[in-house]
Amino acid sequence: MDDNWGYVAAGYGLTAGVVAAYVVWLRVRIRRAERSLRDEADG
Amino acid sequence: MTGKLLGVASGVSLAVLAVLALVVVPPDAVQGDAQRLMYVHVPTAWLAYLAFFVTAVASVLWLWPRTRAPHWDLLAGSSAEVGVVFTGLTLALGSLWGRPIWGTWWEWDARLTTTLVLFFLYVGYLALRRTGATADERGKRCAIAALIAFADVPVVHFSVTWWETLHQDATVFNPDLDVRMEGFWMPFTLVFSVLAFTLLYATLVRTRLRLAELDEGREERELQRAIEERRRAEVVPA
Repeated sequence: MDDNWGYVAAGYGLTAGVVAAYVVWLRVRIRRAERSLRDEADG
Repeated sequence: MTGKLLGVASGVSLAVLAVLALVVVPPDAVQGDAQRLMYVHVPTAWLAYLAFFVTAVASVLWLWPRTRAPHWDLLAGSSAEVGVVFTGLTLALGSLWGRPIWGTWWEWDARLTTTLVLFFLYVGYLALRRTGATADERGKRCAIAALIAFADVPVVHFSVTWWETLHQDATVFNPDLDVRMEGFWMPFTLVFSVLAFTLLYATLVRTRLRLAELDEGREERELQRAIEERRRAEVVPA
């Protein structure tokens, strides 16, 4: 097996991790913003 | 619905890309398996260019009196944030690719240095967006900064032809427009990777824009509330 597979795995893992973390972070912030909007509307 | 469809399409295309890049494509004759990093490094770099181009266009549309609308400022900011994420990834992936091929994690080479400068320029742009000002002042200040920062994009792209660099020439968008790859699967996977990441860009910017609109609405309401409280305090003497 090529020794470089470690670098390849790190690269693909990093890409997947960063994209997943960014998507989760955006969704959490959107949910929080929508909740505060609902709370304001409820008075 | 469009958002969900985009999300599913980008998720599926990224999964297909992983199979193509890690299983189907044969190892490179010179670089071996390390070359598989090209299928994430090149599209992340492309996304950075695309994101900053959209930021520049949205900034021009905001500056132009006939087309000025708050939406363009929010789009510029959203696209820049996605661009910063992918520029950071491009640098990290390039470093991971450079270690086995060049024998070094980092070199102060023209391509690497100009890309690092690009990253910091847009981090600065995002910081500028957080400075307190009215939406109009912020929009004008940020639109001008975005256009100045965008000047570095062609410098990054042409750095490999303008200077002697360790970084290889562009694989596709080189001056001869000659795709320097052999066989079918390598060029096909590269083109597919660019399309898959473009779908991802559309999904991320759409989501980020939704958040920006929600935040903008909240800021406006808070401002209105503060103005009303101030007026009330002025009318009713203490």
